[in-house]
Amino acid sequence: MLTRVKSAVASFVGGIMAGSSDGEQPSGAELPHKFPYMRPAFLGLSPDEIECSADHIARPILILKETKRLPWATGYAEVINAGKSALNEDQACCEVIMVKKKPGAPSTPSKTPTAKRRSSLPNGEGLGLRESSESDGLLIHYWALFDGHAGSGAAVMASKLLQQHIIEQLQDVLDILRNLGSLPPTVLGEEPNHPGTPGTNRTLTRAASLRGAAGAPGSPSTPPPRFFTEKKIQHESLVIGALENAFKDMDSQIEREKAVYNISGGCTALVVAFILGKLYVANAGDSRAIIIRNGEIIPVSAEFTPESERQRLQFLGFMQPHLLGGEFTHLEFPRRVQRKEVGKKMLYRDFTMTGWAYKTIEDEDLRFPLIYGEGKKARVMATIGVTRGLGDHDLKVHDSNIYIKPFLSCCPEVRVYNLTQYEHGADDVLVMGTDGLWDVLSNEEVSESVTSFLANCDPDDLHRYTMAAQDLVMRARGVLRDRGWRITNDRLGSGDDISVYIIPLMNSLWTTPYFTSLHRA
Amino acid sequence: MAYAYLFKYIIIGDTGVGKSCLLLQFTDKRFQPVHDLTIGVEFGARMITIDGKQIKLQIWDTAGQESFRSITRSYYRGAAGALLVYDITRRDTFNHLTTWLEDARQHSNSNMVIMLIGNKSDLESRREVKKEEGEAFAREHGLIFMETSAKTASNVEEAFINTAKEIYEKIQEGVFDINNEANGIKIGPQHAATNSSLAGGQGGQQAGGGCC
Ligand SMILES: Nc1nc2c(ncn2[C@@H]2O[C@H](COP(=O)(O)OP(=O)(O)OP(=O)(O)O)[C@@H](O)[C@H]2O)c(=O)[nH]1
Ligand SMILES: [Mg+2]
Repeated sequence: MLTRVKSAVASFVGGIMAGSSDGEQPSGAELPHKFPYMRPAFLGLSPDEIECSADHIARPILILKETKRLPWATGYAEVINAGKSALNEDQACCEVIMVKKKPGAPSTPSKTPTAKRRSSLPNGEGLGLRESSESDGLLIHYWALFDGHAGSGAAVMASKLLQQHIIEQLQDVLDILRNLGSLPPTVLGEEPNHPGTPGTNRTLTRAASLRGAAGAPGSPSTPPPRFFTEKKIQHESLVIGALENAFKDMDSQIEREKAVYNISGGCTALVVAFILGKLYVANAGDSRAIIIRNGEIIPVSAEFTPESERQRLQFLGFMQPHLLGGEFTHLEFPRRVQRKEVGKKMLYRDFTMTGWAYKTIEDEDLRFPLIYGEGKKARVMATIGVTRGLGDHDLKVHDSNIYIKPFLSCCPEVRVYNLTQYEHGADDVLVMGTDGLWDVLSNEEVSESVTSFLANCDPDDLHRYTMAAQDLVMRARGVLRDRGWRITNDRLGSGDDISVYIIPLMNSLWTTPYFTSLHRA
Repeated sequence: MAYAYLFKYIIIGDTGVGKSCLLLQFTDKRFQPVHDLTIGVEFGARMITIDGKQIKLQIWDTAGQESFRSITRSYYRGAAGALLVYDITRRDTFNHLTTWLEDARQHSNSNMVIMLIGNKSDLESRREVKKEEGEAFAREHGLIFMETSAKTASNVEEAFINTAKEIYEKIQEGVFDINNEANGIKIGPQHAATNSSLAGGQGGQQAGGGCC
């Protein structure tokens, strides 16, 4: 990701802000690190192994060690970039977590989560989890990928802590989530709604509900009658809300702790969480997850880039022009406007448009476009090529005081895939990858290569998903020839960091005793 | 830890010949009797001393199985030394040496030092490849040769260290361009200050010849 910030800055400098001193970001470089640079904990690498892995010449593909397992026999592989940054800026985390109620009063939130965490379980499903009375807990399987830019600080921190925020969010609604028999109450502490008796008096006439709004009289001893039509909120929505808020909390924590620690850069985050029979895919950034079921591709995330979020960004620039610092225009033009074109009519589009129209060029339109460039080269304020993620609080337009962060969102899009709704075979998987994978391979190519690889494996070999992940990373990295890294058909291989999970969805893998006992509880 | 040089090695050869066991014996002084098929690449590291200098060996243990061959091949680049291993109790692993050697020569830098290793010398009763055959192959192809046992640790130290000595001599002769990391050699932090004199001054007869 680093180059996506750097090269843009370079071309931008050549553009409108040429001739400058080195616009160093206030980085807090003198502060101690919150976490040192590392590779994913589940790889269990020694410092020597980490040193070996950072080889930009041979680019070794790292996989799980013989002695390590990930839940569901998930496969994982990663490779470092071809030299654009000294370190691998991707990070990953995978854990099986038992979320338990906070100690003490059930509804008073406390700061310390008491979830039992187990990383890199010795044999897939953690032994010992059974003993810890799961009857009052909620079991979560968690897979996450982070793609850092402009430093590894934010990515490392998020890979260590995002799950904590998810735990804390879920703890607040633990009892409600475990009680699938009735819908989440609208107000805590009141009588719960019983879905068996859908409120006959819920749907009132407009007049009655207006009367209610004006302050309906009610006896203090009996629960007040409901005058409003009330939205029914499903349990699923509570999980989605918990994930969304966890991302926000993570971002705030990075911002807060930047005051005391050196937390460099920012990162994208892609999380897959298996909770109560459903896969929740939360994505903020340009990583991607797809499900391959019976050879069919089911996208379960969408990328957030300057192009995909153009209208949101333009609208923000329009509403809050001071964020543009007088240097940028929120309008988009097919290319930079030249001074001699003022007064002429040129193609443009605004936040209200997906198509194009002509407008008369004014002086203001000479400013640099907020969104500029195409495809992987598209940038916000000529600086960053991804529009959602964590961190980046200090990121500024080169040699200026214009902050980028207001245009970035830490809010993930969460999609839900109901695992129990379908039959899954041994070759049905969820593939998660950072943009290093998807930049060079299409969904179809990924699906094709994973499917054919798995078909040639012993179905009982638990390493098959690891080997498939290694094979996939190899296909995206390619081999080093005279003219750089090359993949099939002499196309350019990915010079970026590449990280991939292949999560098998076969029903027998996740219908473990813990899972079923949870459902009985 | 401070070192004068870092040498990168790669261990190659058919599956089951004992590559992972050799590495484990060298780094941990242990023997692993059950065969854990290597399915990717594994790393080891150890410090040795040559000529009074601390040298760090960074060792890449590759997968020998045919299906991983294209991945293994991609790791030859940037190695200063290679241990090419066969199993003295399995003639087929000896017969495959030519293929391995061609592969190595094609995908590595031309100065890579190759040590041919006939492993499992403890299994004398099951020997299928005579020591003389190994020696002859090595002579013919310009390799160094040793028979080892990862089980008894016989010659294991020597195999790794002799390879390092050969690389070290080549550096002294100026054959290696030590400033090019693609040659699998790094100069340690304590050495970096004197590095320019080493690189420029010593390579009398073959200056710049290390570049391929
Ligand atoms: N008796 C004896 N057995 C050995 C020796 N070295 C290795 N073995 C055995 O040979 C088998 C294979 O050893 P590995 O080191 O795993 O083989 P490898 O070359 O790494 O194989 P791949 O990873 O598949 O390429 C194991 O069962 C070892 O115990 C040795 O020196 N003597
Ligand atoms: Mg091995």
